[in-house]
Amino acid sequence: MDLLSFLLVQCLNALSQAALLFFLGVGLTLIFGIMRIVNFAHGTFYMLGAFLGYSAVRLTGSFWAGLVLGPLVAGGIGAAFEMGLLRRLYKRDDSAFLMVTFGLTLVLGEIIRLVWGVDALQVQVPDSLSGIVFLLDEPFPVYRLFLVAAGAIVAVGIWQFLERTRLGLLIRATSQNAEMVHALGVDVNLVRSGIFGIGCGLAALGGVLAAPLLSASLGMAGNAIIDAFVIVIIGGMGSFPGSLLAAILVAFVQVFGTYYFPDFAMAAMYLLMLLVLVVRPGGLLGKEA
Amino acid sequence: MRIFVCVALLLAMAPLGLPLFAMTLLTEALILGLLAMSLDLMVGYTRLISFGHAAAYGLGAYASGYLLLHTSLPLPFAVLAASVLAGVVAIGVAWVCTLAKGVSFSMLTLAFAQLLYAVAFKWTSVTGASDGLAGIPRTAGPFGVTVFQTKNGYYYLVLVCLLGAYLFCRSLVGSPFGAVLRGIRENEAKTLSLGYNTRLYKIAVVAVSFALGGLAGALYSPFAGFANTELVFWLFSGQVLIMVIVGGQGTLIGPILGAAFFMLLEHVLSQYTESWALFFGLIFIGFVMFAPQGIWGLLTRRARA
Repeated sequence: MDLLSFLLVQCLNALSQAALLFFLGVGLTLIFGIMRIVNFAHGTFYMLGAFLGYSAVRLTGSFWAGLVLGPLVAGGIGAAFEMGLLRRLYKRDDSAFLMVTFGLTLVLGEIIRLVWGVDALQVQVPDSLSGIVFLLDEPFPVYRLFLVAAGAIVAVGIWQFLERTRLGLLIRATSQNAEMVHALGVDVNLVRSGIFGIGCGLAALGGVLAAPLLSASLGMAGNAIIDAFVIVIIGGMGSFPGSLLAAILVAFVQVFGTYYFPDFAMAAMYLLMLLVLVVRPGGLLGKEA
Repeated sequence: MRIFVCVALLLAMAPLGLPLFAMTLLTEALILGLLAMSLDLMVGYTRLISFGHAAAYGLGAYASGYLLLHTSLPLPFAVLAASVLAGVVAIGVAWVCTLAKGVSFSMLTLAFAQLLYAVAFKWTSVTGASDGLAGIPRTAGPFGVTVFQTKNGYYYLVLVCLLGAYLFCRSLVGSPFGAVLRGIRENEAKTLSLGYNTRLYKIAVVAVSFALGGLAGALYSPFAGFANTELVFWLFSGQVLIMVIVGGQGTLIGPILGAAFFMLLEHVLSQYTESWALFFGLIFIGFVMFAPQGIWGLLTRRARA
Protein backbone atom coordinates (compact mmCIF):
# COMPACT_ATOMS: atom_id res chain seq x y z
CA MET A 1 0.00 0.00 0.00
CA ASP A 2 1.52 3.29 -0.98
CA LEU A 3 1.64 6.34 1.19
CA LEU A 4 -1.15 8.25 -0.51
CA SER A 5 -3.78 5.54 -0.20
CA PHE A 6 -2.63 4.80 3.34
CA LEU A 7 -3.10 8.42 4.32
CA LEU A 8 -6.48 8.59 2.60
CA VAL A 9 -7.77 5.51 4.39
CA GLN A 10 -6.43 6.62 7.77
CA CYS A 11 -7.84 10.12 7.35
CA LEU A 12 -11.27 8.75 6.47
CA ASN A 13 -11.05 6.43 9.46
CA ALA A 14 -10.24 9.39 11.63
CA LEU A 15 -13.10 11.41 10.16
CA SER A 16 -15.61 8.62 10.81
CA GLN A 17 -14.29 8.43 14.36
CA ALA A 18 -14.57 12.21 14.59
CA ALA A 19 -18.24 11.98 13.57
CA LEU A 20 -18.98 9.65 16.51
CA LEU A 21 -17.02 11.85 18.90
CA PHE A 22 -18.82 14.91 17.59
CA PHE A 23 -22.26 13.42 18.35
CA LEU A 24 -21.00 12.73 21.84
CA GLY A 25 -19.38 16.11 22.45
CA VAL A 26 -21.88 18.44 20.83
CA GLY A 27 -24.76 17.49 23.11
CA LEU A 28 -22.61 17.94 26.18
CA THR A 29 -21.35 21.31 25.04
CA LEU A 30 -24.86 22.52 24.12
CA ILE A 31 -26.13 21.56 27.56
CA PHE A 32 -23.20 23.19 29.26
CA GLY A 33 -23.18 26.33 27.14
CA ILE A 34 -26.84 27.04 27.68
CA MET A 35 -27.59 25.62 31.09
CA ARG A 36 -24.16 25.63 32.77
CA ILE A 37 -24.76 22.01 33.64
CA VAL A 38 -22.03 19.40 33.40
CA ASN A 39 -23.99 16.33 32.48
CA PHE A 40 -22.10 13.40 33.91
CA ALA A 41 -24.76 11.03 32.60
CA HIS A 42 -23.97 11.93 29.00
CA GLY A 43 -21.97 8.79 28.36
CA THR A 44 -24.80 6.74 29.80
CA PHE A 45 -27.26 8.28 27.34
CA TYR A 46 -24.83 7.35 24.57
CA MET A 47 -24.83 3.78 25.87
CA LEU A 48 -28.62 3.85 26.20
CA GLY A 49 -28.77 4.87 22.53
CA ALA A 50 -26.74 1.85 21.49
CA PHE A 51 -29.01 -0.54 23.41
CA LEU A 52 -32.17 1.17 22.19
CA GLY A 53 -30.82 0.90 18.66
CA TYR A 54 -30.29 -2.83 19.18
CA SER A 55 -33.85 -3.32 20.39
CA ALA A 56 -35.34 -1.19 17.62
CA VAL A 57 -33.50 -3.24 15.03
CA ARG A 58 -34.73 -6.46 16.70
CA LEU A 59 -38.35 -5.26 16.87
CA THR A 60 -38.77 -3.51 13.54
CA GLY A 61 -36.00 -5.14 11.55
CA SER A 62 -34.87 -1.75 10.37
CA PHE A 63 -31.70 0.08 11.38
CA TRP A 64 -33.32 3.35 10.31
CA ALA A 65 -36.10 2.89 12.83
CA GLY A 66 -33.45 2.60 15.53
CA LEU A 67 -31.86 5.79 14.29
CA VAL A 68 -35.15 7.60 14.91
CA LEU A 69 -36.46 5.77 17.99
CA GLY A 70 -33.21 5.67 20.00
CA PRO A 71 -32.64 9.43 20.17
CA LEU A 72 -36.36 10.08 20.70
CA VAL A 73 -36.66 7.80 23.71
CA ALA A 74 -33.33 8.89 25.22
CA GLY A 75 -34.18 12.54 24.62
CA GLY A 76 -37.54 12.03 26.31
CA ILE A 77 -35.89 10.49 29.36
CA GLY A 78 -33.40 13.34 29.46
CA ALA A 79 -36.10 16.00 29.26
CA ALA A 80 -38.13 14.25 31.96
CA PHE A 81 -35.06 14.12 34.21
CA GLU A 82 -34.52 17.84 33.72
CA MET A 83 -38.15 18.59 34.57
CA GLY A 84 -38.24 16.30 37.59
CA LEU A 85 -34.90 16.93 39.26
CA LEU A 86 -32.47 19.37 37.67
CA ARG A 87 -35.03 22.16 37.61
CA ARG A 88 -35.08 22.22 41.39
CA LEU A 89 -31.34 22.79 41.56
CA TYR A 90 -30.90 25.97 39.51
CA LYS A 91 -30.42 28.06 42.63
CA ARG A 92 -27.62 25.83 43.90
CA ASP A 93 -23.99 25.87 42.80
CA ASP A 94 -22.63 24.02 39.78
CA SER A 95 -21.38 21.01 41.69
CA ALA A 96 -24.94 19.95 42.56
CA PHE A 97 -25.59 19.19 38.87
CA LEU A 98 -22.39 17.26 38.55
CA MET A 99 -23.38 15.09 41.47
CA VAL A 100 -27.03 14.56 40.60
CA THR A 101 -26.10 13.52 37.09
CA PHE A 102 -23.47 11.20 38.55
CA GLY A 103 -26.26 9.62 40.56
CA LEU A 104 -28.30 9.31 37.35
CA THR A 105 -25.31 7.55 35.76
CA LEU A 106 -25.45 4.87 38.43
CA VAL A 107 -29.22 4.47 38.25
CA LEU A 108 -29.55 4.49 34.48
CA GLY A 109 -26.55 2.21 34.03
CA GLU A 110 -28.09 -0.31 36.42
CA ILE A 111 -31.48 -0.13 34.70
CA ILE A 112 -29.81 -0.78 31.36
CA ARG A 113 -28.06 -3.80 32.86
CA LEU A 114 -31.36 -5.10 34.23
CA VAL A 115 -33.21 -4.65 30.92
CA TRP A 116 -30.59 -5.81 28.43
CA GLY A 117 -28.32 -8.02 30.52
CA VAL A 118 -24.56 -8.03 30.87
CA ASP A 119 -23.56 -9.41 27.48
CA ALA A 120 -22.37 -7.21 24.64
CA LEU A 121 -25.06 -7.11 21.94
CA GLN A 122 -24.09 -7.13 18.29
CA VAL A 123 -25.95 -4.82 15.92
CA GLN A 124 -25.84 -5.62 12.21
CA VAL A 125 -24.83 -2.99 9.72
CA PRO A 126 -27.89 -2.47 7.46
CA ASP A 127 -27.60 -4.25 4.10
CA SER A 128 -27.52 -1.06 2.11
CA LEU A 129 -24.42 0.09 4.00
CA SER A 130 -22.62 -3.18 4.58
CA GLY A 131 -20.49 -3.14 1.43
CA ILE A 132 -16.95 -2.12 0.75
CA VAL A 133 -15.73 0.48 -1.70
CA PHE A 134 -12.29 0.75 -3.21
CA LEU A 135 -10.51 4.07 -2.74
CA LEU A 136 -7.20 4.23 -4.65
CA ASP A 137 -7.37 0.40 -4.71
CA GLU A 138 -7.73 0.19 -0.93
CA PRO A 139 -10.88 -1.42 0.48
CA PHE A 140 -12.89 0.80 2.78
CA PRO A 141 -16.18 -0.01 4.54
CA VAL A 142 -19.19 1.94 3.26
CA TYR A 143 -20.55 2.26 6.79
CA ARG A 144 -17.62 4.44 7.85
CA LEU A 145 -18.21 6.70 4.85
CA PHE A 146 -21.84 6.88 5.92
CA LEU A 147 -20.71 7.99 9.39
CA VAL A 148 -18.63 10.80 7.93
CA ALA A 149 -21.63 11.96 5.89
CA ALA A 150 -23.99 11.66 8.88
CA GLY A 151 -21.60 13.69 11.02
CA ALA A 152 -21.39 16.41 8.40
CA ILE A 153 -25.16 16.51 7.92
CA VAL A 154 -25.86 16.75 11.65
CA ALA A 155 -23.17 19.40 12.13
CA VAL A 156 -24.62 21.57 9.37
CA GLY A 157 -28.12 20.85 10.62
CA ILE A 158 -27.40 21.98 14.19
CA TRP A 159 -25.56 25.03 12.95
CA GLN A 160 -28.47 26.08 10.73
CA PHE A 161 -30.93 25.27 13.49
CA LEU A 162 -29.12 27.53 15.94
CA GLU A 163 -28.57 30.35 13.47
CA ARG A 164 -31.72 30.35 11.34
CA THR A 165 -34.72 29.15 13.33
CA ARG A 166 -36.74 30.97 15.95
CA LEU A 167 -36.15 28.21 18.47
CA GLY A 168 -32.43 28.44 17.79
CA LEU A 169 -32.61 32.15 18.45
CA LEU A 170 -34.36 31.51 21.77
CA ILE A 171 -31.73 28.98 22.72
CA ARG A 172 -28.88 31.39 21.99
CA ALA A 173 -30.67 34.16 23.83
CA THR A 174 -31.27 31.92 26.86
CA SER A 175 -27.59 31.07 27.01
CA GLN A 176 -26.68 34.77 27.09
CA ASN A 177 -29.27 36.11 29.51
CA ALA A 178 -31.93 33.74 30.72
CA GLU A 179 -33.63 36.31 32.97
CA MET A 180 -34.09 38.78 30.16
CA VAL A 181 -35.55 36.11 27.89
CA HIS A 182 -37.88 35.11 30.68
CA ALA A 183 -38.93 38.74 31.17
CA LEU A 184 -39.78 38.91 27.46
CA GLY A 185 -42.40 36.25 27.99
CA VAL A 186 -40.60 33.09 26.95
CA ASP A 187 -41.00 29.92 28.98
CA VAL A 188 -37.29 29.50 29.76
CA ASN A 189 -37.91 26.28 31.67
CA LEU A 190 -39.36 24.71 28.54
CA VAL A 191 -36.36 25.81 26.48
CA ARG A 192 -34.05 24.26 29.07
CA SER A 193 -35.92 20.95 29.16
CA GLY A 194 -35.84 20.92 25.38
CA ILE A 195 -32.11 21.57 25.26
CA PHE A 196 -31.35 18.88 27.81
CA GLY A 197 -33.50 16.45 25.84
CA ILE A 198 -31.88 17.38 22.53
CA GLY A 199 -28.40 17.03 24.03
CA CYS A 200 -29.18 13.58 25.41
CA GLY A 201 -30.85 12.63 22.14
CA LEU A 202 -27.71 13.58 20.20
CA ALA A 203 -25.61 11.40 22.50
CA ALA A 204 -28.06 8.54 21.91
CA LEU A 205 -27.87 9.12 18.15
CA GLY A 206 -24.11 8.69 18.44
CA GLY A 207 -24.73 5.51 20.40
CA VAL A 208 -27.05 4.03 17.76
CA LEU A 209 -24.54 4.85 15.03
CA ALA A 210 -21.63 3.44 17.03
CA ALA A 211 -23.43 0.18 17.85
CA PRO A 212 -22.62 -1.65 14.58
CA LEU A 213 -18.93 -0.83 15.01
CA LEU A 214 -18.49 -1.38 18.74
CA SER A 215 -21.59 -3.46 19.66
CA ALA A 216 -23.69 -2.34 22.60
CA SER A 217 -21.95 -3.08 25.90
CA LEU A 218 -21.98 -1.88 29.49
CA GLY A 219 -18.44 -0.57 29.24
CA MET A 220 -19.41 2.03 26.65
CA ALA A 221 -20.55 4.71 29.07
CA GLY A 222 -17.27 5.06 30.92
CA ASN A 223 -15.15 5.51 27.83
CA ALA A 224 -17.74 7.73 26.21
CA ILE A 225 -18.06 10.19 29.07
CA ILE A 226 -14.32 10.68 29.27
CA ASP A 227 -14.08 11.19 25.49
CA ALA A 228 -16.96 13.63 25.62
CA PHE A 229 -15.38 15.64 28.43
CA VAL A 230 -12.06 15.77 26.62
CA ILE A 231 -13.72 17.08 23.47
CA VAL A 232 -15.75 19.69 25.26
CA ILE A 233 -12.73 20.90 27.22
CA ILE A 234 -10.42 21.04 24.20
CA GLY A 235 -13.04 22.78 22.08
CA GLY A 236 -14.05 25.18 24.80
CA MET A 237 -17.03 24.55 27.06
CA GLY A 238 -20.21 25.68 25.37
CA SER A 239 -18.68 26.30 21.95
CA PHE A 240 -20.47 24.46 19.12
CA PRO A 241 -17.74 24.95 16.45
CA GLY A 242 -15.21 24.14 19.17
CA SER A 243 -16.73 20.71 19.72
CA LEU A 244 -16.52 19.99 15.99
CA LEU A 245 -12.89 21.09 15.81
CA ALA A 246 -11.97 19.15 18.95
CA ALA A 247 -13.74 15.98 17.74
CA ILE A 248 -11.68 16.03 14.53
CA LEU A 249 -8.46 16.79 16.42
CA VAL A 250 -9.00 14.03 18.99
CA ALA A 251 -10.01 11.52 16.33
CA PHE A 252 -6.84 12.16 14.35
CA VAL A 253 -4.72 11.86 17.48
CA GLN A 254 -6.49 8.59 18.35
CA VAL A 255 -6.26 7.01 14.89
CA PHE A 256 -2.70 8.04 14.06
CA GLY A 257 -1.57 7.61 17.66
CA THR A 258 -2.83 4.04 17.69
CA TYR A 259 -0.96 3.38 14.46
CA TYR A 260 2.40 4.95 15.31
CA PHE A 261 2.61 4.75 19.11
CA PRO A 262 0.21 1.99 20.19
CA ASP A 263 1.52 2.11 23.75
CA PHE A 264 0.91 5.81 24.16
CA ALA A 265 -2.35 6.19 22.24
CA MET A 266 -4.41 6.19 25.41
CA ALA A 267 -2.27 8.87 27.02
CA ALA A 268 -1.96 11.00 23.86
CA MET A 269 -5.53 12.27 24.10
CA TYR A 270 -5.06 13.44 27.68
CA LEU A 271 -1.72 15.03 26.87
CA LEU A 272 -3.36 16.92 24.02
CA MET A 273 -6.00 18.14 26.42
CA LEU A 274 -3.47 19.25 29.02
CA LEU A 275 -1.47 21.04 26.36
CA VAL A 276 -4.54 22.92 25.14
CA LEU A 277 -5.53 23.87 28.66
CA VAL A 278 -2.11 25.14 29.59
CA VAL A 279 -1.98 27.33 26.47
CA ARG A 280 -5.64 28.32 26.46
CA PRO A 281 -7.37 27.52 29.77
CA GLY A 282 -10.80 28.13 28.26
CA GLY A 283 -10.34 25.67 25.39
CA LEU A 284 -9.54 26.37 21.74
CA LEU A 285 -12.68 28.31 20.86
CA GLY A 286 -14.08 28.92 24.32
CA LYS A 287 -14.18 32.07 26.34
CA GLU A 288 -11.26 32.54 28.69
CA ALA A 289 -11.83 30.62 31.89
CA MET B 1 -12.49 17.04 72.21
CA ARG B 2 -14.14 14.81 74.81
CA ILE B 3 -16.23 13.18 72.12
CA PHE B 4 -13.11 12.69 70.02
CA VAL B 5 -11.37 10.83 72.86
CA CYS B 6 -14.47 8.68 73.45
CA VAL B 7 -14.74 7.71 69.77
CA ALA B 8 -11.01 7.04 69.60
CA LEU B 9 -11.23 4.77 72.64
CA LEU B 10 -14.27 2.98 71.26
CA LEU B 11 -12.49 2.37 67.96
CA ALA B 12 -9.38 1.24 69.80
CA MET B 13 -11.43 -1.35 71.70
CA ALA B 14 -13.24 -2.58 68.59
CA PRO B 15 -10.99 -5.62 68.02
CA LEU B 16 -12.00 -6.95 71.45
CA GLY B 17 -15.69 -7.16 70.62
CA LEU B 18 -15.99 -7.54 66.86
CA PRO B 19 -15.58 -10.71 64.78
CA LEU B 20 -12.78 -10.86 62.26
CA PHE B 21 -14.84 -10.14 59.13
CA ALA B 22 -16.28 -7.04 60.78
CA MET B 23 -12.76 -5.91 61.60
CA THR B 24 -11.82 -6.28 57.93
CA LEU B 25 -14.80 -4.13 56.97
CA LEU B 26 -13.97 -1.59 59.64
CA THR B 27 -10.33 -1.35 58.58
CA GLU B 28 -11.35 -0.72 54.99
CA ALA B 29 -13.93 1.83 56.12
CA LEU B 30 -11.28 3.71 58.07
CA ILE B 31 -8.93 3.70 55.08
CA LEU B 32 -11.68 5.04 52.84
CA GLY B 33 -12.57 7.51 55.57
CA LEU B 34 -9.03 8.86 55.51
CA LEU B 35 -9.28 9.20 51.73
CA ALA B 36 -12.64 10.99 51.88
CA MET B 37 -11.42 13.29 54.63
CA SER B 38 -8.40 14.25 52.56
CA LEU B 39 -10.69 15.13 49.65
CA ASP B 40 -12.81 17.23 51.99
CA LEU B 41 -9.88 19.64 52.41
CA MET B 42 -10.24 20.45 48.72
CA VAL B 43 -14.00 20.11 48.23
CA GLY B 44 -15.42 21.29 51.51
CA TYR B 45 -12.93 23.92 52.61
CA THR B 46 -11.60 25.36 49.36
CA ARG B 47 -14.40 24.55 46.89
CA LEU B 48 -11.95 22.78 44.60
CA ILE B 49 -14.19 20.00 43.29
CA SER B 50 -11.68 17.34 42.35
CA PHE B 51 -12.96 14.59 40.12
CA GLY B 52 -9.65 12.80 40.19
CA HIS B 53 -8.96 11.93 43.77
CA ALA B 54 -8.53 8.30 42.82
CA ALA B 55 -5.18 9.49 41.43
CA ALA B 56 -3.92 10.18 44.95
CA TYR B 57 -5.19 6.84 46.21
CA GLY B 58 -3.78 4.94 43.25
CA LEU B 59 -0.40 6.66 43.48
CA GLY B 60 -0.11 5.75 47.13
CA ALA B 61 -1.33 2.19 46.59
CA TYR B 62 1.01 1.45 43.68
CA ALA B 63 4.00 3.18 45.28
CA SER B 64 3.76 1.36 48.60
CA GLY B 65 2.97 -1.90 46.81
CA TYR B 66 6.01 -1.51 44.59
CA LEU B 67 8.29 -0.63 47.50
CA LEU B 68 7.08 -3.59 49.56
CA LEU B 69 7.45 -6.00 46.65
CA HIS B 70 10.84 -4.86 45.41
CA THR B 71 12.69 -3.41 48.37
CA SER B 72 13.20 -4.45 51.97
CA LEU B 73 11.85 -1.17 53.32
CA PRO B 74 9.86 -1.73 56.54
CA LEU B 75 6.11 -1.29 56.06
CA PRO B 76 5.59 2.02 57.91
CA PHE B 77 8.43 3.65 55.98
CA ALA B 78 7.15 2.35 52.65
CA VAL B 79 3.71 3.76 53.47
CA LEU B 80 5.21 7.10 54.46
CA ALA B 81 7.37 7.27 51.33
CA ALA B 82 4.35 6.56 49.14
CA SER B 83 2.41 9.31 50.86
CA VAL B 84 5.23 11.81 50.32
CA LEU B 85 5.44 10.78 46.67
CA ALA B 86 1.73 11.46 46.19
CA GLY B 87 2.14 14.88 47.78
CA VAL B 88 5.10 15.78 45.56
CA VAL B 89 3.35 14.64 42.38
CA ALA B 90 0.35 16.69 43.47
CA ILE B 91 2.39 19.89 43.36
CA GLY B 92 2.92 19.40 39.64
CA VAL B 93 -0.68 18.34 39.06
CA ALA B 94 -2.01 21.29 41.03
CA TRP B 95 0.27 23.71 39.24
CA VAL B 96 -1.45 22.80 35.96
CA CYS B 97 -4.97 22.30 37.31
CA THR B 98 -5.10 25.64 39.12
CA LEU B 99 -4.67 27.38 35.78
CA ALA B 100 -8.39 26.72 35.44
CA LYS B 101 -11.28 27.45 37.75
CA GLY B 102 -14.63 25.92 38.59
CA VAL B 103 -15.84 23.16 36.31
CA SER B 104 -12.70 23.29 34.16
CA PHE B 105 -10.66 22.56 37.28
CA SER B 106 -12.80 19.47 37.94
CA MET B 107 -12.34 18.28 34.39
CA LEU B 108 -8.58 18.82 34.54
CA THR B 109 -8.26 16.75 37.68
CA LEU B 110 -10.29 14.08 35.92
CA ALA B 111 -7.91 14.24 32.96
CA PHE B 112 -4.89 13.84 35.21
CA ALA B 113 -6.40 10.87 36.96
CA GLN B 114 -7.17 9.28 33.60
CA LEU B 115 -3.65 9.98 32.41
CA LEU B 116 -2.41 8.15 35.46
CA TYR B 117 -4.90 5.36 34.72
CA ALA B 118 -3.44 5.09 31.22
CA VAL B 119 0.07 4.95 32.66
CA ALA B 120 -0.93 2.28 35.20
CA PHE B 121 -2.46 0.32 32.34
CA LYS B 122 0.61 0.45 30.12
CA TRP B 123 3.69 0.60 32.36
CA THR B 124 3.84 -3.15 32.77
CA SER B 125 7.26 -3.39 34.43
CA VAL B 126 6.21 -1.21 37.37
CA THR B 127 2.42 -1.48 37.64
CA GLY B 128 1.79 -4.94 36.20
CA ALA B 129 -0.64 -3.45 33.62
CA SER B 130 -4.17 -4.88 33.79
CA ASP B 131 -3.14 -7.58 36.30
CA GLY B 132 -1.95 -4.95 38.76
CA LEU B 133 0.40 -5.75 41.61
CA ALA B 134 -0.50 -8.89 43.45
CA GLY B 135 0.80 -10.58 46.59
CA ILE B 136 1.91 -7.37 48.26
CA PRO B 137 3.37 -8.49 51.60
CA ARG B 138 2.95 -6.88 54.97
CA THR B 139 6.63 -6.91 55.81
CA ALA B 140 7.92 -6.77 59.36
CA GLY B 141 8.22 -3.30 60.79
CA PRO B 142 11.46 -1.62 61.81
CA PHE B 143 13.39 -2.85 64.86
CA GLY B 144 11.78 -6.26 64.60
CA VAL B 145 8.23 -5.03 65.22
CA THR B 146 5.91 -7.61 63.71
CA VAL B 147 2.60 -6.37 65.08
CA PHE B 148 1.52 -4.89 61.72
CA GLN B 149 1.52 -8.34 60.15
CA THR B 150 -1.56 -9.41 62.08
CA LYS B 151 -5.03 -8.24 61.08
CA ASN B 152 -5.70 -6.42 64.33
CA GLY B 153 -2.22 -4.94 64.46
CA TYR B 154 -2.74 -3.51 61.01
CA TYR B 155 -6.07 -2.12 62.12
CA TYR B 156 -4.26 -0.16 64.83
CA LEU B 157 -1.79 1.21 62.30
CA VAL B 158 -4.69 2.43 60.16
CA LEU B 159 -6.50 3.84 63.19
CA VAL B 160 -3.42 5.76 64.35
CA CYS B 161 -2.93 7.17 60.84
CA LEU B 162 -6.58 8.25 60.63
CA LEU B 163 -6.65 9.86 64.08
CA GLY B 164 -3.33 11.60 63.45
CA ALA B 165 -4.52 12.84 60.07
CA TYR B 166 -7.77 14.05 61.58
CA LEU B 167 -6.02 16.05 64.31
CA PHE B 168 -3.65 17.44 61.68
CA CYS B 169 -6.49 18.45 59.36
CA ARG B 170 -8.46 19.99 62.20
CA SER B 171 -5.59 22.19 63.29
CA LEU B 172 -4.91 23.00 59.64
CA VAL B 173 -8.43 24.25 58.92
CA GLY B 174 -8.43 26.12 62.23
CA SER B 175 -5.15 27.87 61.44
CA PRO B 176 -4.73 31.15 59.50
CA PHE B 177 -3.95 28.92 56.50
CA GLY B 178 -7.40 27.36 56.83
CA ALA B 179 -8.97 30.80 57.07
CA VAL B 180 -7.44 31.69 53.71
CA LEU B 181 -8.79 28.46 52.26
CA ARG B 182 -12.30 29.39 53.40
CA GLY B 183 -11.72 32.83 51.94
CA ILE B 184 -10.98 31.20 48.58
CA ARG B 185 -14.12 29.10 48.94
CA GLU B 186 -16.37 32.06 49.63
CA ASN B 187 -14.84 34.63 47.31
CA GLU B 188 -11.55 34.03 45.60
CA ALA B 189 -11.31 37.46 43.96
CA LYS B 190 -11.72 39.17 47.30
CA THR B 191 -9.11 36.96 48.96
CA LEU B 192 -6.73 37.72 46.13
CA SER B 193 -7.31 41.43 46.48
CA LEU B 194 -6.53 41.18 50.19
CA GLY B 195 -3.02 40.26 49.14
CA TYR B 196 -3.07 36.48 49.38
CA ASN B 197 -1.53 34.53 46.51
CA THR B 198 -4.55 32.26 46.23
CA ARG B 199 -2.98 30.02 43.62
CA LEU B 200 -0.12 29.09 45.96
CA TYR B 201 -2.63 28.32 48.69
CA LYS B 202 -4.61 26.13 46.34
CA ILE B 203 -1.50 24.26 45.23
CA ALA B 204 -0.57 23.75 48.89
CA VAL B 205 -3.97 22.37 49.85
CA VAL B 206 -3.99 20.01 46.85
CA ALA B 207 -0.54 18.76 47.89
CA VAL B 208 -1.65 18.14 51.49
CA SER B 209 -4.85 16.52 50.30
CA PHE B 210 -2.98 14.24 47.89
CA ALA B 211 -0.40 13.31 50.51
CA LEU B 212 -3.17 12.21 52.89
CA GLY B 213 -5.10 10.52 50.09
CA GLY B 214 -1.85 8.82 49.09
CA LEU B 215 -1.43 7.70 52.69
CA ALA B 216 -4.84 6.05 52.48
CA GLY B 217 -3.90 4.30 49.25
CA ALA B 218 -0.54 3.28 50.67
CA LEU B 219 -2.33 1.70 53.63
CA TYR B 220 -4.81 -0.04 51.34
CA SER B 221 -2.49 -2.07 49.13
CA PRO B 222 -0.72 -3.98 51.93
CA PHE B 223 -4.12 -4.44 53.58
CA ALA B 224 -5.76 -5.90 50.48
CA GLY B 225 -2.56 -7.48 49.19
CA PHE B 226 -3.04 -6.02 45.71
CA ALA B 227 -3.22 -2.80 43.74
CA ASN B 228 -4.97 -2.62 40.39
CA THR B 229 -6.11 -0.05 37.86
CA GLU B 230 -9.59 0.10 39.37
CA LEU B 231 -8.12 2.14 42.21
CA VAL B 232 -7.25 4.88 39.69
CA PHE B 233 -10.44 4.64 37.61
CA TRP B 234 -12.69 7.68 37.31
CA LEU B 235 -15.64 5.79 38.76
CA PHE B 236 -13.77 5.47 42.04
CA SER B 237 -13.04 9.21 42.06
CA GLY B 238 -16.78 9.74 41.76
CA GLN B 239 -17.46 7.36 44.61
CA VAL B 240 -15.08 9.20 46.92
CA LEU B 241 -16.80 12.45 46.04
CA ILE B 242 -20.10 10.78 46.93
CA MET B 243 -18.70 9.81 50.33
CA VAL B 244 -17.72 13.42 51.00
CA ILE B 245 -21.08 14.86 49.94
CA VAL B 246 -23.24 12.21 51.59
CA GLY B 247 -21.22 12.47 54.79
CA GLY B 248 -21.25 16.26 54.88
CA GLN B 249 -18.63 18.40 53.19
CA GLY B 250 -16.52 20.88 55.07
CA THR B 251 -16.75 18.99 58.36
CA LEU B 252 -13.85 16.46 58.22
CA ILE B 253 -15.89 14.07 60.40
CA GLY B 254 -18.71 13.89 57.88
CA PRO B 255 -16.67 12.38 55.03
CA ILE B 256 -15.37 9.68 57.40
CA LEU B 257 -18.97 8.84 58.29
CA GLY B 258 -19.84 9.02 54.61
CA ALA B 259 -17.14 6.48 53.80
CA ALA B 260 -18.34 4.15 56.54
CA PHE B 261 -21.94 4.59 55.37
CA PHE B 262 -20.87 3.82 51.80
CA MET B 263 -19.04 0.65 52.86
CA LEU B 264 -21.88 -0.54 55.07
CA LEU B 265 -24.56 0.20 52.49
CA GLU B 266 -22.63 -1.54 49.73
CA HIS B 267 -22.09 -4.52 52.00
CA VAL B 268 -25.73 -4.77 53.10
CA LEU B 269 -27.32 -4.01 49.73
CA SER B 270 -25.09 -6.42 47.85
CA GLN B 271 -26.36 -9.20 50.13
CA TYR B 272 -29.96 -8.60 49.10
CA THR B 273 -29.71 -7.47 45.53
CA GLU B 274 -27.32 -7.46 42.63
CA SER B 275 -28.54 -4.03 41.66
CA TRP B 276 -27.10 -2.24 44.66
CA ALA B 277 -25.77 0.51 42.38
CA LEU B 278 -29.36 1.38 41.51
CA PHE B 279 -30.35 2.02 45.12
CA PHE B 280 -27.06 3.63 45.78
CA GLY B 281 -27.60 6.11 42.98
CA LEU B 282 -31.10 6.88 44.23
CA ILE B 283 -29.90 7.45 47.79
CA PHE B 284 -27.15 9.68 46.50
CA ILE B 285 -29.56 11.73 44.37
CA GLY B 286 -31.80 12.03 47.41
CA PHE B 287 -28.95 13.43 49.50
CA VAL B 288 -27.95 15.98 46.87
CA MET B 289 -31.56 17.08 46.39
CA PHE B 290 -32.85 17.16 49.94
CA ALA B 291 -29.92 17.04 52.35
CA PRO B 292 -26.96 18.87 50.81
CA GLN B 293 -25.46 19.21 54.28
CA GLY B 294 -25.03 15.41 54.47
CA ILE B 295 -25.30 12.91 57.30
CA TRP B 296 -23.16 14.93 59.70
CA GLY B 297 -25.19 18.04 58.92
CA LEU B 298 -28.43 16.17 59.69
CA LEU B 299 -27.01 14.79 62.93
CA THR B 300 -25.71 18.09 64.25
CA ARG B 301 -28.85 19.96 63.24
CA ARG B 302 -30.91 17.42 65.16
CA ALA B 303 -28.59 17.85 68.14
CA ARG B 304 -28.86 21.65 68.06
CA ALA B 305 -32.64 21.72 67.65
